[in-house]
Amino acid sequence: MDSIIEVQELKREYVTRHGFWKREKRVVKAVDGISFAVRRGEIFGLLGQNGAGKTTTIKMLTTLLAPTGGTCKVLGWSTFGEEKRIRARINFIFGGEMGVYRRLSARDNLRYFSNLYLIPRKEQDVRIQKILGLVELAERADDLVETYSKGMIQRLQIARGLINDPEILFMDEPTVGLDPVGARMLRDIIRRLKEDGKTVLLTTHNLAEVEELCDRLVVINKGKLIASGTPAEIKADSETLEDAYVKLIEGVSA
Amino acid sequence: MSLAVLLSTMRVQMKQSFARPMFRFCLIANPILNTILLYEMFRGSGEENFMAYVVLGAGLMGLWGCICFSSAGDINRERYSGTLALIFATPVSFPVIILGKIIGNTVMSLLTLGISLVTAVVLYRVPLTLESPLYFLLALLAAVLAFVVISSVVACLLTLSRKTELYMNCIEVPVVLLCGFVFPVSVLPEAVRVFSYALSPTYAVELLRLSVWGVNDPAVFWQKLGILLGLTALYAILSALLYRKIDRRVRVTATLEVA
Ligand SMILES: Nc1ncnc2c1ncn2[C@@H]1O[C@H](COP(=O)(O)OP(=O)(O)OP(=O)(O)O)[C@@H](O)[C@H]1O
Ligand SMILES: [Mg+2]
Repeated sequence: MDSIIEVQELKREYVTRHGFWKREKRVVKAVDGISFAVRRGEIFGLLGQNGAGKTTTIKMLTTLLAPTGGTCKVLGWSTFGEEKRIRARINFIFGGEMGVYRRLSARDNLRYFSNLYLIPRKEQDVRIQKILGLVELAERADDLVETYSKGMIQRLQIARGLINDPEILFMDEPTVGLDPVGARMLRDIIRRLKEDGKTVLLTTHNLAEVEELCDRLVVINKGKLIASGTPAEIKADSETLEDAYVKLIEGVSA
Repeated sequence: MSLAVLLSTMRVQMKQSFARPMFRFCLIANPILNTILLYEMFRGSGEENFMAYVVLGAGLMGLWGCICFSSAGDINRERYSGTLALIFATPVSFPVIILGKIIGNTVMSLLTLGISLVTAVVLYRVPLTLESPLYFLLALLAAVLAFVVISSVVACLLTLSRKTELYMNCIEVPVVLLCGFVFPVSVLPEAVRVFSYALSPTYAVELLRLSVWGVNDPAVFWQKLGILLGLTALYAILSALLYRKIDRRVRVTATLEVA
């Protein structure tokens, strides 16, 4: 089995209701029949405009959301129905200031999640200290998270995502809010993960980052796939990946 | 391993709850104020032992308030802080985490009983007697179990909805009234009492009061305890069934997160 992630004709609709008196049903096709595959050891990019369906796709891949159609397999298992086979072996990082216990310290956050990932007690302290060093939070590890800056919370997110030494790491805009040094640190971590044979699927709006990191990528627009390939293939004869991306998006909007 | 998860969830939950001013208010100020309120109401009632309705009543109201606002509210707090999705996606089964949270909160909330006792003693120096301490201990354990199970049913349902705050406000006071926390259920109209006797806290409260007054006929105590445990088991089964449904449902309706 070469593909560690397999997505075929994947669909997800959201049903929302509007109005107070006349409850009007509206259906948003957030992901509308996309297919792609990721090989073990790849760094794979998921690109697209705001609202394109990137986060929705990642949520389906990380067992958080049920697809409304198509197949969505991670490590050979379906993410809805066979999620128990997957969860211990993956992890995910969502950008922004969410997803941490603000009234606990970084160390307590990590200790709690190592319990939830069933990491043996004996290993926990060593692993947590190592990861804290990796994201450069060791010095502030025992302060409450509510006293942290945005970027420090983001570093803690990254640390949490690494806690179970995942085979696949999903990252949704992981560099949002990081300073340049922090962003480089994250890129280094991602490259190191690749050297260790891990797979990374990430979304970002920073195309230079994509060019630097990704082995392959797909571009989605309004829930549909509009391009896929290596950064060089997508760039083709454009000057930069950004030029190529803008052309692609303008091409489908025209 | 589940035990480790349960214990660490309890610890995290207690730390977090206690850090919230609203929880501290429910835990500490509420039982004091309720004790004062109930004392003034019962002063001329002819009831001699203020333990049963004043201390126990105020303590139980506080306990239930804490449980309602924390167990239910925590789901929403975690939803808004983005951690609900994170804990949901770990290899640990979700009900174990929820259970850990609920037990943590309930254990901490027992403090309300102590606080209303101290309030009554310090402020009023009224006669307080506990006739059957051993029965009381047993009743208290059963009551804690009943409250834990009832909260897990509530928490389960609330995982589904983002309107959690509304619902938990809706259930707090009705349970206080229906289950006879501060007056005997017998004063309620017969049609309403049907609901009272379908709710497990009703029996828990009666057992506690019985042991405050003194258990003269142990058979009555054991019978009520049997009903309480039976109902609690029923609720536990219901909550297990609900959880199975909800585990899939939240991923279909996308209610683990806001937007
Ligand atoms: N829970 C939800 N309920 C209703 N609609 C939703 C929900 N979540 C997302 N959507 C809609 O689905 C579409 C895709 O959203 P998604 O978050 O996947 O986009 P994205 O590619 O991650 O965008 P961004 O770059 O802004 O993060 C959008 O139109 C969004 O409004
Ligand atoms: Mg997004």
